[in-house]
Amino acid sequence: MIRRKGLDTCLLGFFILFLGCVPISETTLSSGSPDDLPDCYVIFPAGPWESVHRIEAIIKGGASSSLIGVTKGEPSERRLQSLLLTPEGFILFDGELRGGEITVRKAVAPFDSPAFAKGLMEDVALLFLPPQVRPTTWGKDTDGTMICNWEGPDKSHTEITGSMDSGWRILRRDKHGKAIKEVVLNGPFVNGLASRVELRAFKPASYRLRMTLVQPSP
Amino acid sequence: MKRFFFLSILIVTSFLSAAVGSSQDWASLKEASKNIRSVKAEFLQKRYLQILTKPLLSEGRFFFNASGSLRWEYLSPVRSVMLQRGGTIQLYHFSEGVWKPEITQAVESRRMVLFEISRWFQGRFDESKVFRNLYSPGPPARVILVPREGIDRFIQRIEVVLSARPGVIDRVEIEEPGGSWTSIEFRNVEINSSFSPEVFEKP
Repeated sequence: MIRRKGLDTCLLGFFILFLGCVPISETTLSSGSPDDLPDCYVIFPAGPWESVHRIEAIIKGGASSSLIGVTKGEPSERRLQSLLLTPEGFILFDGELRGGEITVRKAVAPFDSPAFAKGLMEDVALLFLPPQVRPTTWGKDTDGTMICNWEGPDKSHTEITGSMDSGWRILRRDKHGKAIKEVVLNGPFVNGLASRVELRAFKPASYRLRMTLVQPSP
Repeated sequence: MKRFFFLSILIVTSFLSAAVGSSQDWASLKEASKNIRSVKAEFLQKRYLQILTKPLLSEGRFFFNASGSLRWEYLSPVRSVMLQRGGTIQLYHFSEGVWKPEITQAVESRRMVLFEISRWFQGRFDESKVFRNLYSPGPPARVILVPREGIDRFIQRIEVVLSARPGVIDRVEIEEPGGSWTSIEFRNVEINSSFSPEVFEKP
């Protein structure tokens, strides 16, 4: 647990809030048709891309903050660069995830802790990079809903469900099966990016990010 | 070598002439601004980041009162407002149809920038403790602000391009280390127009 003076006045509050356990039912599925497999990746941009999002970050108690998120991705290298800016354009954080390594180029207090960098880049990776391994199970429901399940090396689970018509959900569970993060993505998709995204984190910190795409890839 | 020497002399001379003429120029800038009681304008901000191929565009408006109040408001892409009255700053953002107080962040940077902007609209460029300044008569006339030690990590240089209209700023350009920069262009500038004092009190 991280404690610092004045921490309740900043977004680092994400990391000091109590642990949350949200029961979200788990879907079991047998291995699906190879033809359906590409649909497990349809919500992730395939080529190089960049984006600008309007972000509303909401923490415990409903306090919120408006930010601008600028992200650039190179999926083939599993590389993401992410900037957080104030509405006026001050850069609060500039970091890069490359091959699993995080490099922080710039971070202004209180966004300068390693925990913040790790949490932020994990969120960005969850939103924009598919799991590295092949899904363990996948398939299509009778109503056309795609369901894909991955198991991570740390025994965590990622489940992606949805369709282009109804929207998509990414659910990440820890090794005990407890939901730690949930992302809801709604279209229309512009250059492979969802127009509206809501990320809810339950564990280890509780917060919500509402993101609206304002400037997609060129 | 000779050419380089000549170029160096030229650069040094141009900086010296800017510095030598400064006390007179600062006085004339203040004189031009002394009748300004209020300013209202719209602005277009272009944020050039190395990560983006196209600049990030933001639009907004501001209200300034010479008594020491400033409202700096963004209308897009994030609707937000900074209200400065004397030494107090309040930040809000607009979400779900209501104005919400902003969780405090980067307040010192914002406070510094707002105080600097307030000074610029009063022609008080030479009173900054944060920036060293140079005046270039142009046209267009420009004030170049170079940060003193401390904030030079974040800002490399600011150029304030003055309008031919006395006391009016056309454009501000802010350069950062690492190649990112911001341009703010002002338009529909109204000098001494009347507006409610509430613009500085309520989001």
